[in-house]
Amino acid sequence: MTTRTEAAISPSEGPGPAPPTYAGQGVISVEGLGHRFGDKIALQDGLNLTLGPGGVVGLLGPNGSGKSTLMRILVGLVPKQMGTAVVDGATLLGDGLAVRKRVTYAPGELHLYGEMKGSEHLKLLLRGRGHAAVEKALSIAAGLDLPLHRRVRGYSHGMKRQLLFAASMGPDVRVRILDEISEGLDPTKRSQILGRIEEDADSGTTILLSSHHLAEIDRACKRIVFLNDGRIIADEDSEAVRQRAARVIKIRFAEGSEGLIEAKLQGDDVERVDVEGNDVRVLLREEDPRPFLGRLSGIQGLSAPQSVEHGKLSLRELYRSLYGVEGT
Amino acid sequence: MIRGIKGYVLYGLGFFIVLELMLFAAIFYWPTFAENFSAISKLASPIPMLRNLTTVVKEEGIPAYVIGQHYFKGCSALGTAACVLFAASAIAGEAHRGTMEIWLSRPVSRTRLLTERWLGGLIAVILPVFLSSYTIPYLLDMVDESMQWDDITRCSIHMCLFLAPIYAITFAWSAFGSEPLRISFVMLFLSILTFALYLVESATDYSLFRIVDVRVFLEILKTKSFDWKMVGPLLAATGIFYVVALKAFQRRTP
Repeated sequence: MTTRTEAAISPSEGPGPAPPTYAGQGVISVEGLGHRFGDKIALQDGLNLTLGPGGVVGLLGPNGSGKSTLMRILVGLVPKQMGTAVVDGATLLGDGLAVRKRVTYAPGELHLYGEMKGSEHLKLLLRGRGHAAVEKALSIAAGLDLPLHRRVRGYSHGMKRQLLFAASMGPDVRVRILDEISEGLDPTKRSQILGRIEEDADSGTTILLSSHHLAEIDRACKRIVFLNDGRIIADEDSEAVRQRAARVIKIRFAEGSEGLIEAKLQGDDVERVDVEGNDVRVLLREEDPRPFLGRLSGIQGLSAPQSVEHGKLSLRELYRSLYGVEGT
Repeated sequence: MIRGIKGYVLYGLGFFIVLELMLFAAIFYWPTFAENFSAISKLASPIPMLRNLTTVVKEEGIPAYVIGQHYFKGCSALGTAACVLFAASAIAGEAHRGTMEIWLSRPVSRTRLLTERWLGGLIAVILPVFLSSYTIPYLLDMVDESMQWDDITRCSIHMCLFLAPIYAITFAWSAFGSEPLRISFVMLFLSILTFALYLVESATDYSLFRIVDVRVFLEILKTKSFDWKMVGPLLAATGIFYVVALKAFQRRTP
């Protein structure tokens, strides 16, 4: 088995002793992936994606969009039907053992062995990872104030989630795949966990994070991949998304406003108009809204707007505006 | 659901204790049984298969009695139940509890996970059979009777070869399924059905329990060897159903 310390292929340049590296270190690369459960398409044929090395990548999408299936395929839990996947230099083959040795995975489904004590459960989750990983996970769990001497059946939902988080952060690996890791946590714990994730990513680890909590995606992720119906509909730098968000204007008209709003708002300065009842989202071509707002006041046959919002959109609204689909 | 060495030890120990208690009671009942043999034969006479059993015991003495009580009644009947209970939840139990995903997500191959569990459960069935059987000479000593160690070993091996395919079939079903209770009920129902067939004179040859009939064991004691026409298929079935379980498990999604 090739490990992080064994495979010195291309030592990095610069002064001082460089950490050993190997081809594909910390990279998740997927080509032509597709998956079906019977008649249901979980991932559209031909999904291509390259992530890392390093950084937190947010995987977003509505329920059933294929996020968890993609993650499970990457660690070999769901047998790959087509395409190739290489994770941290290991090609996904067979039951994915080679990949699982190089990544940690925290499942989104929260079912644990209730009869076990917290510390015993951590050891079970970290079977095959070595003593150091167990020690680190125990220390992370203790830092999160988890009662490791108590049986897991007495844990709250959030505590179980934290136990999975501690187990996934214990091993010294270059890729972590975390499915809804902060679901059910209170804001303080969520912030603590995000802090650890960011710290880990800063040290060069690639973290694929799926979440329904868009604020944390906004905070932690440098890149956002949006899945819908098993297809990647957006893959962009989070900064670019924020810049695009600055070009969206949300306008609310009074009830019973005259029709053809979309046509009336179209213009050279507008990239797209989405009308939903009396709510209109306009994606401008430029960040500066003033030319559009000036034009808006002069449009004939359009009643005065009840409200106009700019630069305040949540990520959810943003995705609705940018891609015409519900976020999460 | 049995999981981990501790679980197998506890279940195996429970099975051993039950077998040993039954054996202890049976052997200490032997002098009374021998004294009241004619009355017991009369009681058994309405059921032809039981009548045959008592006839064999009358002809062969203590070995037939021990085989009938320990191997046929104890190990085969309780062993079948143990096989079903130990194997039914092995994989299906994880799916039923929803813990399959965390069980599989560790860096351990599926072949290893399945084989460990398969062997763990099988040993928890087999070991108590051998251990309880090896107490037979000591217990018989107390009622001034004896049995050879090698005969006991052969009988125990034959017994385990009967139980192994039952375990393997149930385990293979568990590797496909996610409802351990249903698997247990169906397998136990089939076992009871085939045991009932054994008691029906005209249908007895269609019962799997013919494989562990007292006369089969007595033939093993007489020839000091196994009937490979009977043992071979049992071994093959065990192997085949292990492979079936493995193949199913390798394709299984959480």
